[in-house]
Amino acid sequence: MSSDKVTPWPAVPIPKPEEVYAGLSDQAKDYPLYLESICRQSHAFEKPEALSRLRVYDTSTRMMIGHWCSSLLAELGAEVIQVEPPGGDPMRKLTPFGRKEYMFTDKESGEAVGAHFLHEMRNKMSITLNLETEEGREIFKKMAVHTDVIIENDPPGHRDSLGIGYRQLKELNPRLIYCWVGQLGQWGPHKDKPGMLDPTAQAACGFCHGTGDPKEFGGTPMRSALWMCDHVGGTQAAMGILTALYYREVVSGEGQFVEATAAEAVIRILDYSWAWYGMDGSIRPRFGNWDLAINIYAVNPCKDGYMMVGGGHDRLWYRIWRVVGDEYPAVEDDILGDPHLREVADRLAMNQQIKTYTMLGEWLKDNSRSEAERKLSKQQVASGGVLYVNEVAEYPHFKYRGHVAETESPHYGKILYGTTPFQQKETPARLKWMGRPTGYDNQDTYRRLLGFTTEDFTRLQKANVI
Amino acid sequence: MLLTCPSCKTKNFLDPYPFWNFKGTTQCAGCKKIWRLETSNGTCVSAPAEASGKADLLPGFAETQAYEGISGPGLTRPAPKAQKESVCKPKAIKRNVRGNVIAGYPLTKNDLVGSLAKFMVAGAK
Amino acid sequence: MATDTAVSNAPQISFEEFCRKTFDPKGEFAKPEALKGIRVLSCTQYILGPSCASYLAELGAEVIKIEAPRRGEAMRHTTPFNEPFLYPLSKHVPERGTGLGFVGANCNEYFVAIDFHRPEGQNLVKKLAAKSDVFVENYRPGTFDRWTLGYRQLSAINPRLIYQWLGGFGGWGPGRVRASYDILGQSQGGNFGMTGKAEFQGGSPAKHTIWLADYWGGMMGAVQILAALYYRDKISGEGTFMEYSQVHGVTRQLEYALPLYGRHGITRERWGTWDTQLCVHGIIKCGKSSYPNSENPQENEEGYILVSAYSDEDFARLCKTIGDGNFATKYAKADDRVKAQAQMEIYPALEKWAADKTKEDVANILDKANINNQPVWNSKEVATNPHWQQRGSVRWIDDPYYGDLLHQGPGYKLSATPPRTKWALKPVGADNEYILGKLAGLSPTDIKRLEDQECI
Repeated sequence: MSSDKVTPWPAVPIPKPEEVYAGLSDQAKDYPLYLESICRQSHAFEKPEALSRLRVYDTSTRMMIGHWCSSLLAELGAEVIQVEPPGGDPMRKLTPFGRKEYMFTDKESGEAVGAHFLHEMRNKMSITLNLETEEGREIFKKMAVHTDVIIENDPPGHRDSLGIGYRQLKELNPRLIYCWVGQLGQWGPHKDKPGMLDPTAQAACGFCHGTGDPKEFGGTPMRSALWMCDHVGGTQAAMGILTALYYREVVSGEGQFVEATAAEAVIRILDYSWAWYGMDGSIRPRFGNWDLAINIYAVNPCKDGYMMVGGGHDRLWYRIWRVVGDEYPAVEDDILGDPHLREVADRLAMNQQIKTYTMLGEWLKDNSRSEAERKLSKQQVASGGVLYVNEVAEYPHFKYRGHVAETESPHYGKILYGTTPFQQKETPARLKWMGRPTGYDNQDTYRRLLGFTTEDFTRLQKANVI
Repeated sequence: MLLTCPSCKTKNFLDPYPFWNFKGTTQCAGCKKIWRLETSNGTCVSAPAEASGKADLLPGFAETQAYEGISGPGLTRPAPKAQKESVCKPKAIKRNVRGNVIAGYPLTKNDLVGSLAKFMVAGAK
Repeated sequence: MATDTAVSNAPQISFEEFCRKTFDPKGEFAKPEALKGIRVLSCTQYILGPSCASYLAELGAEVIKIEAPRRGEAMRHTTPFNEPFLYPLSKHVPERGTGLGFVGANCNEYFVAIDFHRPEGQNLVKKLAAKSDVFVENYRPGTFDRWTLGYRQLSAINPRLIYQWLGGFGGWGPGRVRASYDILGQSQGGNFGMTGKAEFQGGSPAKHTIWLADYWGGMMGAVQILAALYYRDKISGEGTFMEYSQVHGVTRQLEYALPLYGRHGITRERWGTWDTQLCVHGIIKCGKSSYPNSENPQENEEGYILVSAYSDEDFARLCKTIGDGNFATKYAKADDRVKAQAQMEIYPALEKWAADKTKEDVANILDKANINNQPVWNSKEVATNPHWQQRGSVRWIDDPYYGDLLHQGPGYKLSATPPRTKWALKPVGADNEYILGKLAGLSPTDIKRLEDQECI
């Protein structure tokens, strides 16, 4: 399906180990080669999976938080069965700007799926079940005894009113770990309403107000391009599920009810916002690409894009200006002579940040991202350009380590994707397959779990139950 | 970019985001002269020329050659603030926003029991 | 069936009441802790490593934070605008404080000071590691190996140890020597370049204001640790080495960007406060401030609100609400509405409609029309919101060292073993006696001597 005009990935070959470690002494090579030997993803299939005994039904639809959570569990080895309504999760149809040509098509059925959904369908099986029918719910109850985890994101109380919520299913399976995920919660004055999606959580947790350029600089509140709160909330949900699993296995023998919301997960990590308000009533302002609490620690424009330079303490501060001074001695002299910039703490004042970054800009305007990085890294200063997706995909370090990789799907052909960051020695995470057409695993799953016959399949399909 | 005023030598800090690609006028925070300039990718396309009228965009901050800061209404753009005034120096905070005791101010060794402030041991009220 | 009797016998309590009782933050301390008895050593600095350990501390693990004697780790010296600090920094430096940058990443922990550079300090760490389950560090790759405190040495002492390294680029590969911070992880991982106003909207790439790659990266590390604990205690009996690269994590979360680039060579670009896959589902400006008389500039700026009406029915109702019949027919279909050109027409029209309203005005009108919306709340609006207060998401804690402190609650809820917040942080070395006496057998005289030598 790939267009002939598109250069196959990688456009530039992946570096080889002898190139990467060329010229290093045995001693210098020892530790990185040891790490590489125990962590490389290409060794993953020689090793067991951490969660291979865990079965998960992801019955969430329409939003990313549940899919993200079950993706993490699936990468760690859980058997994740995506339970979709007949016809598939409506999220399958999402594609940027509605462009159907950007979707991935199953070679056999011709069914198209959006890349966003596909990217989070890793290692998951797909079955269909209509929980809005009485018979579908009866099937679901029978299935509930066969699982360790159920994830759902229906509007608060909906499953309970159908008789298949936590209160009912835990009676059938006391070991069940039941996880509800959403934007704002199942209870409380602003609990979730049907159809709520990220960035609802981004706006409701204080993230948007504090992201983007300040008004004084012509800016407005900004959202993350990603459904970022869903990612953080889904990660918290996975933590909740794994905690419940650990407690069940090691202590109690029983499951529990987990609730994770996209907004609260980000409230948890909105660093000093709450303590600051509590101490003196301060309301976190937007500060653009600079930082309220560290200078130098910012992204600013440079010759060919945007450049991050970071050096919060004195050692790095002076090294940065030495690099600048090689080309602009007057700038270095001015900074080193400034009595207001001598103490680390004094540099944080807004005015000093304006001066700092204006002066740094005198140097950055002449240096591209890679030139600036090369010069600064000689002084061991953390720096790097803002990379766009094409650059991320081709970045040598990422290619070498496999942060970005291509997989060949039996259904959809070659897919470029972001790999799991769970790298480890004994039970590394991995990709087994990327996505399945809707209901692809109906036969296998219903036969092995519930003993369905061909007749059952025919009848239930006709009745729109599966 | 750094605009050293051709007239009074004030260092006007034209901060990178709004001034990286800019065409218009700004005002020297030292002598209030208006300067017309054009930048492209952070570089001045032509030398600043004296102009008149109201500045399109004020500098973010400015200082004299002797490092005395110049800022304020009509001179520089307002800075983003978390409340009415930012002092940008450690504040001594003894009561929090709801009026309760908080250990937000410098202590001395005499104030401590171990690593703990005495008033916390006594039961903060 | 069993379920039917269970339901009919259940007390008549609404689902919402049931949830409120089950997850009530006031009941947290009446319930057990999931990680009771699990000991974690956190040899960490900044946010990525510390936050990873603190998520485990919320679950009841005994987390021991080890940092440099006297001044502690770097993050204690960062605070917004250099204004608020919590005193004392340590008993040796009472006139200085810990900055709020440290808050949120180190809660519930015990604080020990050890100088890793000295053999005496290294021996202390080994004594602690021999009795620990998890070891978290985020120094440059190989640093702890050089200090004889790496995975190779510690796993020989304690084969059950789960060793989690977290950092920027990972310890092997061409970029292994590069230092990293959160904002560099965002820049190079790819989410920075996609976030922010598009070129035609007059914007540049924008960072996520939170230290996302750090705080969320630490969370990913904690997920991996929990899976490893389960595997060790249930299956293998052995520890492991784990590596988390924060820039790798960011690249993992780019949604459709990589598949789209791989297949079509298209680079995902910025799209401001709108959504690339759904319309209407974006943040618009309301012309009026909700607090025009406030002296705080954060309050008297104009309001913003997320308007979400992406289904055909909701969009039709929205058009009716704002009195625009033209859009209702022109963009009746979702596929037409979500096109770039359509979005560039629809959102400005919504902003025009909202120009004489506050965000609360808009929310009230949309609520009446049953259209999803969410005002963009600032940190005060979040902190004082009854919803978040009732749920314990933001809560006042009675901190033993610092008094009445507003703090974030745990990011998720568990019915039987809820995570909880006990204290925010402690001064550097505050638990030297307790921890080093208990685990390393140091007498008060030993501790006094080592403290005088600034070894602890």
